[in-house]
Amino acid sequence: MADQILFFIEVVVGGLLAGTMYSLVALGFVLIYKASATFNFSQGAMVFFAVLAFVGFMQDFNVPFVLAFFLAVFLMIIVGLCTERLVLRPLMNQSEDTLLMATIGLGYVLEGLAQAMWGVEVRRLDLGIKDFPIPWIADNLKLFISAIDLTAGIVAFGMIIGLTLLFKYTKMGLGLRAVADDAGAASSIGIPLKHIMLLVWSAAGVVALVAGMMWGARAGVQFALVDLALKALPVLIIGGFSSIPGAIIGGLLIGAVEKVLEVYIGPFFGGAIEGWAPYVLAIFFLLYRPEGLFGEKIIRRV
Amino acid sequence: MSSASGNILELKNVKVVYDNVILALHDVTLNVPKGKIVALLGGNGAGKSTTLKSISTMLASERGKVTGGTINYDGNAIEKQNPSQMVNMGMVQVLEGRRCFGHLTVEENIISGAYSRKLSRGDINQELEKIYGYFIRLKERRKSQAGFTSGGEQQMIAVARAMMAKPKMLLLDEPSMGLAPQLVAEIFNIVKELNEKEGVSVLLAEQNTNVALKNSDHGYIIETGKVMLEGTAKSLLNDDKVKELYLGISKEGRKNFRDVLKEEGKKKKKKVN
Repeated sequence: MADQILFFIEVVVGGLLAGTMYSLVALGFVLIYKASATFNFSQGAMVFFAVLAFVGFMQDFNVPFVLAFFLAVFLMIIVGLCTERLVLRPLMNQSEDTLLMATIGLGYVLEGLAQAMWGVEVRRLDLGIKDFPIPWIADNLKLFISAIDLTAGIVAFGMIIGLTLLFKYTKMGLGLRAVADDAGAASSIGIPLKHIMLLVWSAAGVVALVAGMMWGARAGVQFALVDLALKALPVLIIGGFSSIPGAIIGGLLIGAVEKVLEVYIGPFFGGAIEGWAPYVLAIFFLLYRPEGLFGEKIIRRV
Repeated sequence: MSSASGNILELKNVKVVYDNVILALHDVTLNVPKGKIVALLGGNGAGKSTTLKSISTMLASERGKVTGGTINYDGNAIEKQNPSQMVNMGMVQVLEGRRCFGHLTVEENIISGAYSRKLSRGDINQELEKIYGYFIRLKERRKSQAGFTSGGEQQMIAVARAMMAKPKMLLLDEPSMGLAPQLVAEIFNIVKELNEKEGVSVLLAEQNTNVALKNSDHGYIIETGKVMLEGTAKSLLNDDKVKELYLGISKEGRKNFRDVLKEEGKKKKKKVN
């Protein structure tokens, strides 16, 4: 019995830690959704683009780890800058649907660019952290928790705290929240939309890079990352599109639930229900709580 | 030019077109003297909001364009500026329908108005206190989410937010919209106080002719994108045409169209007799 409980805890903890990776990707979506009220379909491509560039710098040019990281961050800021200048600004004042279509297009451009620059083969990313259970925890708590999962969890947690503080307490953050509420009113009092857009897309780029590094270290840096990033969609539906805490909790929830379902219910379906179980959960949320757990309710005065 | 004439804002034969085809303003010429309150009056679709947006350069975001005439503000021709540059030049528009940031607190809303200024935390607090001096009601509600405050409070937030940008000139678009008469009076009093104490010039678009003229120095009446009548607020309040068409009062005691028709009928009978 004790073994079973221990095993259950192990499954949940493993799921939660894997969930932090979903949270990280969802965070990128939330950032852009807050600023331009559009679902950024290119987020997956950004993850792929960012981490492939990072690995490319390291492996093709023998750039040391830290420098490669900062080069990749810099590159993502350039991507943000170009997106603002070449995509968002010409489309200003167009409907949200137009913007949505533009992000799909942007996704293809980024995918193509990444592969044109760095090639199409799967690359190994070694962060120096092993995907093995941490011996100390295994010995003392009898839980097998992968070092890379734990690292991802800690990194995701740190980024989340950083971003929350940025939004809540900085001038830029206030500007972003104002733009998220009413871009027209924000520009009427002199909040420059282009600065806010640049900030948001750069931040989303950096988040994409970190998420890509975590995933890449585990499964190799490859094209599949683009689709993996779409797992963030049920996370967002559950957590709420406009909420940073929602993205976190949604990610953790999806991570834990999909692992538990996979282990305990999966065998009845012949396994591999991880792939679609989160979407089923998302459908239930759409039916009964469409704004998500933490999404901002639309305020309407009567 | 404008400093010599004492006007902070001069519009000359301004023409505005939306979507390249819809002519919204035909010919608007108006002046706002420095430190005065000027009312821009007219019904729905007369072109009041369009006039204000052409001045604050918010037209571009609605696919409108100034195609003729000149706008001169504080010695500068307004042509290719964007709203954020206009705010830096001291011109802030309070948009129609208040447009508060609903998910921000009242205080965050007001602070956001200072975004364009480089202020330290201490300076912001000092400015806030000054603003709360005018909007006492808002101080009590500073921590509430703006979306849940009343319509009057939201209008106050919108004006307070604009004042945080330290404007030389305010453009107010229908501050009375949807508010009880008492609140309208309260808001106009605050606007007047801001005008007197802070020296901010005001151009306000209103449908509520009576209240607007009583609280301003000068008035313009526009219809279908054209200035039809102008004068000092006092002279407009006493003008027969304004009284009849915009204030609903006339010498004969006619209050509405039915009275007008009845009277016409009587005249006809007399002629027959």
